[in-house]
Amino acid sequence: MQESEIRKQLRAWILRRSQSKAKTELADDTPILESGLLSSLDVVELILFIENLKGAEVDVDDIEPEVLTNVNTIYDGFFRGEAA
Amino acid sequence: METATELAVRLSKASRKKFWNVYSVFDWPEKLDYSHWFMPPELISLYGTPAWEKLDEEQRHKLSLFEMANLFSLTAQGEMPLVQGLIGQMYPHHDPDITGYLHHFLDEENKHMVMFTEFCRRYIGKVYLYKKIALPRKYEKGEEDVSFFIKALTVEEIGDYYNVLAAKDERVHPIVREINALHHSDEARHIVFGREVMRSTFEEHSADWSKATLAGVREWIANYLRSSWADFYNPAVYRDAGIPDGYAAREFALGSEVCRAHRKRASEKLVSFLLESGILEVEPVL
Repeated sequence: MQESEIRKQLRAWILRRSQSKAKTELADDTPILESGLLSSLDVVELILFIENLKGAEVDVDDIEPEVLTNVNTIYDGFFRGEAA
Repeated sequence: METATELAVRLSKASRKKFWNVYSVFDWPEKLDYSHWFMPPELISLYGTPAWEKLDEEQRHKLSLFEMANLFSLTAQGEMPLVQGLIGQMYPHHDPDITGYLHHFLDEENKHMVMFTEFCRRYIGKVYLYKKIALPRKYEKGEEDVSFFIKALTVEEIGDYYNVLAAKDERVHPIVREINALHHSDEARHIVFGREVMRSTFEEHSADWSKATLAGVREWIANYLRSSWADFYNPAVYRDAGIPDGYAAREFALGSEVCRAHRKRASEKLVSFLLESGILEVEPVL
């Protein structure tokens, strides 16, 4: 999957999950937890979505919470070097 | 009304009477006989969904093993923070009778973790690991205690629904029935104690909270229950059972009315307690 497609899917999932009525777009550097778009309880769902996009399991022991800051950090943390 | 101390004394007596040794009580079979179920089929997370309909009988039995291993994995990992938290409560705050019961509580939780992980290791070769990541957050006074006991009660009460039904189901493999029966026997006491502590902890702290904090705590509890249920729909379980596109099967089941009705049934006792005790005001959508 291309980088642009992965980023697009991540943004769409975050907006869907946040049930945000006001926001229809999300920038790749918008903080997703700090801004309240997602809560800590959404993190498991986000990891499972990332696993589904990657087609591989993620070991959460290897993840620093900072990786979940925004779409840029998620892409760098989970997908960089893997995209087609 | 029974005081917390009297309750602790009563539960300690019951714990001593029912004391058991996790290292000698089980006669672990070398191999599992797959003609059995390992979870009653009606409790399997995909039951009643198109993914379930596509499975043949053998695949359904196989899925039931991974589903029970997922329940055991979730319960063992749910009990770990409970044990950590209870250790911190033991000596500084309570009277000797309450501390005495907490020793039993910890002993029993430790044995549960041993039997659950032993089952998983022997028969599926792993424990399904939580995908949770701890994020730093700020709490109002007492909020962290309330969330701690909500987490403990949730893992115990929902797990107990499965334990009771699996333990008495003759279609289920004897070793699975035995584990579920033993867990239920201890958890019945833990739930009584946990509810009492939950109720008093909430009453103690909620009186000092602002309306906004109280609403936030209630919203978190409802979200926590939903997120706990989502853990039962594990794509890794579906993958291990040979179900193609486990993630899609999970998403379908989470949104399915059949599965929602199951979640509601299984959560009924817990939700009733939360409503009756005033911890929640509105029944959460699960």
